[in-house]
Amino acid sequence: MMPPLALPEINKILLVLILFLAVLIITVKDLLFLNFLYRIQSFFIVLVSLALYAPDRKTSLLAVASITLLSKVIIIPSIIKNAQNKLKIKRDVEFHYLTPISSILVSIAVFFAVYLSFSRLITELPDKTFLITGSLSVSLMFMGMIIIFTRQQTITNIIGFLTIENGVLLFSLFMAELPLIVEVLILLDLVMLIVLASLLAFGIDSNIEEFHKKLQPLSKFLGGQK
Amino acid sequence: MMLLSILVGVSAILLIIFLRSNKSINLVSLLHALYYAGLSIYQMYAGSLPQYYLENKYFFIDSLGIYELLIASVIFFLSILYLEGYIKSLVEHEELNPKFVKLFYICMNLLLMSVAFSFFSNNLALFWIFLELTTIFSAILIVILNAVENIYAALKYLFIASTCMLFSFVGLILLYAFTKHNFGAGTLNWSELMSSASLITPRIAAYSFMFIFIGFGAKAAIAPFHTWVPHAHSKAPSAVSAILSAVILNVGIYGIIRTFAVVRQTSSGQIASNMLIIFGFFTLGIASLSMLQQKNVKKLIAFSSIEHMGTILIAIGLATKASVFWVLIYIMASALAKSLLFLCAGIANRQYMSNDIDSVRNFIKLQPLASVGIIVGVLAISGLPPFALFMPKLLVLIQISKFSVLMLIIALLSILISTGSFALFFTKFFSSVDEASSIHKYNTPAKMKASIIILIILLALLGIFLPDRLADIAGNIVAELKI
Repeated sequence: MMPPLALPEINKILLVLILFLAVLIITVKDLLFLNFLYRIQSFFIVLVSLALYAPDRKTSLLAVASITLLSKVIIIPSIIKNAQNKLKIKRDVEFHYLTPISSILVSIAVFFAVYLSFSRLITELPDKTFLITGSLSVSLMFMGMIIIFTRQQTITNIIGFLTIENGVLLFSLFMAELPLIVEVLILLDLVMLIVLASLLAFGIDSNIEEFHKKLQPLSKFLGGQK
Repeated sequence: MMLLSILVGVSAILLIIFLRSNKSINLVSLLHALYYAGLSIYQMYAGSLPQYYLENKYFFIDSLGIYELLIASVIFFLSILYLEGYIKSLVEHEELNPKFVKLFYICMNLLLMSVAFSFFSNNLALFWIFLELTTIFSAILIVILNAVENIYAALKYLFIASTCMLFSFVGLILLYAFTKHNFGAGTLNWSELMSSASLITPRIAAYSFMFIFIGFGAKAAIAPFHTWVPHAHSKAPSAVSAILSAVILNVGIYGIIRTFAVVRQTSSGQIASNMLIIFGFFTLGIASLSMLQQKNVKKLIAFSSIEHMGTILIAIGLATKASVFWVLIYIMASALAKSLLFLCAGIANRQYMSNDIDSVRNFIKLQPLASVGIIVGVLAISGLPPFALFMPKLLVLIQISKFSVLMLIIALLSILISTGSFALFFTKFFSSVDEASSIHKYNTPAKMKASIIILIILLALLGIFLPDRLADIAGNIVAELKI
């Protein structure tokens, strides 16, 4: 078993790595590589859950780690990869409102703003490491938002949305474990959302007939006219 | 009750999968909506509220939930009644692939279930999940038409609503972490949060509310998170626009009311109140100014919906017993008026195959009932007598005047701009007459007409007479919210 003192340090290192991956996501133009970065970022979140599981062996944390591995490291990136393979556009080269460097500077400013804001809550919450973990998680959410606002392609926007969602998951892991059923339902909801968004991304990239061909298997499954 | 509702919903969807004719599919959907209307009326008259379900009380039926469910189920029922003829026309004009009719109805039924269960959720995290599901199913209903612009509208809706909803989840986690630390066991059950709200520290209450407001505000079309509304409402099939405007926006407001009721009991209550009033006025101003230059009838109604959400938010923020009571009646009356306008706009769309005012000619002659519907809808939504929105709007304005005369002046100015915009738009809409025009008359199916007639009657009746039981329920809600 890992010495207890080492665990918070491991988590801090993992958090910094997760933020570094978000910085990369802000700057990278290749869509396939973006998806890969998201997969790695989610894998680090699995490692955070396992590091949190190690001291008390709470089954709920192990379950969260397993569900995250399955949904965010395997299923969702595969759905996005599948959508990407069918898209004509492979790179997202345009940046709106902010250049990558200014996006990173804004992210740093956001972190300090969140840190200052959360420092007022420190006396009212159980976890004294909340200030750092909470600020990093919420900053990750804002970085995801920056990705959505500054990038053109729907697939990049989906990755931005998923980055925000990773921020929420981290926040939830450090702050309080929600009941497992709620965690599972949230992830199911997320998978549905991503499937739909990927389908719409394909619709924008193709013509309406091709898009409706993609919808047809679902319609046939539901007993629609052949 | 929860199990029965799931059973009814699943049966409706299975029947839709196996049925062949669109008429039967429509009938099943109608019965599904009727079930919820019946359930809410039964609970209003015979049920002892609140009732809790499951050991951990994750679900419940209380006065506010049942009141909102009644409004939602009536709107769903009338929209589905309207849908049969409307879908037929969409298919005939190749705007909807016939292969997707079942998918359309299934999503409609799933949307109804998600809305109903969001009202049944005592647990705020479950409410959040059902609210997210409403986004997914309504986005599919927008995207199902044969138009690329609909994909853009659905994507915009999906990204704005879901991104904001993730921020609201942070607020819920904060609240859960606090209760876990201070109350022994963490809870997001509204009833438990209400009973121990005074123990929540002001800062936690304020931060949680701020985050939660972002998500629920986006669903309720509160500015600046409202930008998805004009696109989604104008591109969606009209029956879906009616549901989006009269039901989905209300679910967002419902979430705000629930969380505000908790925060109101802490010493951060005044901060939350001020926040609602400021955002309410911002929404009111943005929406009424945006209405001025509209040429698209559905966009005009969409901005009017946003404007009403602003007024509702202000009235909630005032947090007096009278303002909350009348805002509940306001929610019901505005839902009916918005639905009527969207359904009539749908007939105009079928007549001219466009939502643009420039394509309108001889509307009164071609569609007399829809013309009456639009006139009644505009009068009602502007808060004029004798329609249902008159009293609640007047009394909300009186409540605002008690708070500040300047606020009253701003509110009146915004209302004046929006009413003026409607007057200008529909004067042009009805006065575009071209005797030489050879536009073929669209024969509005009887069921589409029936929906419009029922809405006109409801708006007129509720303007003259407010049933005692509805007023009692609204009074009970104010008491339950402890405002």
